[in-house]
Amino acid sequence: MFRNLDIKAFMPVIVLIVLAVFFTILNPNFMSVRNFARIAIAASPFLMVAIGVTFIIIMGSIDLSMEGSVALSAVIFCFAFLFFGGTLGSGGWVAIIVALGFGAAYGALNGFIHAKLLIPSFMSSLAMGFVGVGATVLLTGGGIVRIDDDIFRMLLTYRFQGFPLMVYVAIFFLVVGIFIQKKTILGRNLYAIGGAEDLARASGVPVLKTRVLAFSLAGFYYALAGVLQVAKLGQAESVTGANLMFLSITAAVVGGVALWGAIGGVVNALIGVLIVTVINNGMVVIGLPDYIQDGVLGLLVIAAVILSTNRSAVKFVK
Amino acid sequence: MSTFIKDFIEREKLSRRNFMFATAAGLTTAAMPGILGSSSALAGHHGGVAMAWSYRDRASAYWNAIVSGGEAYVESLGMKKSDMVNLINEASSEKSLADIKAFLAKNNGKGAIACDPNDSPNARPVVEAVRDAGGYISTIWNKTNDLHPWDIGDNYVAHLSWSGEKPSEDAARLLIDKMGGKGGIVHIGGIPANIPAIERLDGLKNALKDNPNVELLDVQSADWDTTKAAEVMSSLLTRYGDNIKGVHCANDNMAYGVIEALKAEGISDMPITAFDGNPEAVDLVMKGDLLATVFTNPHWGGGIALALAHQAAIGAFKPSEEPNAHREFYGPSILVTPDDAAEFKKTYLDSTPTYDWNDRWGLSAGQIQYK
Repeated sequence: MFRNLDIKAFMPVIVLIVLAVFFTILNPNFMSVRNFARIAIAASPFLMVAIGVTFIIIMGSIDLSMEGSVALSAVIFCFAFLFFGGTLGSGGWVAIIVALGFGAAYGALNGFIHAKLLIPSFMSSLAMGFVGVGATVLLTGGGIVRIDDDIFRMLLTYRFQGFPLMVYVAIFFLVVGIFIQKKTILGRNLYAIGGAEDLARASGVPVLKTRVLAFSLAGFYYALAGVLQVAKLGQAESVTGANLMFLSITAAVVGGVALWGAIGGVVNALIGVLIVTVINNGMVVIGLPDYIQDGVLGLLVIAAVILSTNRSAVKFVK
Repeated sequence: MSTFIKDFIEREKLSRRNFMFATAAGLTTAAMPGILGSSSALAGHHGGVAMAWSYRDRASAYWNAIVSGGEAYVESLGMKKSDMVNLINEASSEKSLADIKAFLAKNNGKGAIACDPNDSPNARPVVEAVRDAGGYISTIWNKTNDLHPWDIGDNYVAHLSWSGEKPSEDAARLLIDKMGGKGGIVHIGGIPANIPAIERLDGLKNALKDNPNVELLDVQSADWDTTKAAEVMSSLLTRYGDNIKGVHCANDNMAYGVIEALKAEGISDMPITAFDGNPEAVDLVMKGDLLATVFTNPHWGGGIALALAHQAAIGAFKPSEEPNAHREFYGPSILVTPDDAAEFKKTYLDSTPTYDWNDRWGLSAGQIQYK
């Protein structure tokens, strides 16, 4: 029975545990609620982006629009928040709906350009990302938009059981993501398309509609990340989404989501995000000099991918 | 193959090549001001010299301030803002050089350019291209140490830079005073290989030399980025906890992240210094969230760099008759502290001082020194 158990499926979790133990040995402070809260704060917006892109990767496509989508959603959120009075109580909550609605619409447009105009998702989404960053620069004039509302900022400053509220928001949308992946037709269709698009189409899966919906869902999650970024930093600007493209795709892959589609899911994205965040936190906590951290991160990512993906099942790599 | 087809292919090749040349030479410069709101494709002339600023992008307060200075100079000549051509290099050295060549080609060499060459090695090809075309150029920030305006000639009018070391040291001394002369400091730095990042860290180290009771606990790079600075700061709290009594940041953006990381932990009284003097940072100094920032007056820098190139081009002064201290000099820097933040904001941010652009070196902080 144990012979059939696929150890590879658990490798990402094992990698995460090994990393945590390793960092704890070098600095026991690592294993503390306060540090876990710090890791969770860093991981929350990042997790939203990774979940979003995971839906697209499951489908066998790629989405590179996140840096633009996150920045644009965050800036639109800030402007809307200020427009509706600048406090959560005065109507600032409407800004959350505006931002999330915008994110979903932007994602849908991204998906439509890709699926309807038959442009490879790599190219169309990269272009939409640039459009997003450009639009953010236009909106902000290159400046910063700040939110100074203590009630909204409670997402960061108010703690329950040692963790800020934004962490619980992220967990809620993690559960929503798992639900969409496992219990909805959309979720199942993503795997069908990622597994074999021709077969899916022949079996009656509405491929175009599914693709647009998936990108829209991803856009919704990017906008969530944008709102959480503002909660975390109190500001938005054109570089609010910087670095998220490489990190989120790395996290998904490290967590066991395969770039060739139909393998892995939202939970893998979570594990991957935790692995990447723990590495980043741990490198500082154990006192690694900054100039070798990027190199170490790269090596650890390769090691994590080797350990956590089942490459023997892959016929080709592209 | 018939001669007709051969001729046709040959002709197509030629016309495509010509089209590409035309695009490279004309459209990049002609299109850019169009996007940024310039009305005329023909650059404005003053004394028969067209003016341009070549810089990275419009995505930061810093570059916007630089550009506003250039525009203020152009307006001081009675021209429109849009008469200054914006050559945006998007952090590409190749584009920077190509744009400048195209700009000069279009204006038959009668051009005055202010330019950040994007990276140090690009400065030489840029200034040589300007010299060969007969134009005039001033550079800011990036050039190699072996390249000097006086070696190139009058066409390379001046180079302007800002030393991060002394102002950063001043900020560090203020920080140490606030800490009561003892305790641990962490430095949140820029991209480690960037010269400003190195200088700003050196400034801190200078201040530490005569403060033996202050310990530099750690130096961590956050790549000038707010998000990364927040994460680095929270990780440093795990490592050093309450031993951190002060934070020295290499720019404002990273300081914003540090403040938020501390806010998440309920820490609001940590002294933090920054660099750049951005409007948001000055507000934070006034609120007491930030102890100090350093203002480098990019508006003046952007204006004077263009003014020097233009005035040399129209013959208002001859660069080779000026001392070296007028050809390579540091821009000004002002330490903004809680005591003078309100006054500073009123003078420099809420309104823009009107500068006399004929006072070419009035705000210079001395000749550039090489270590």
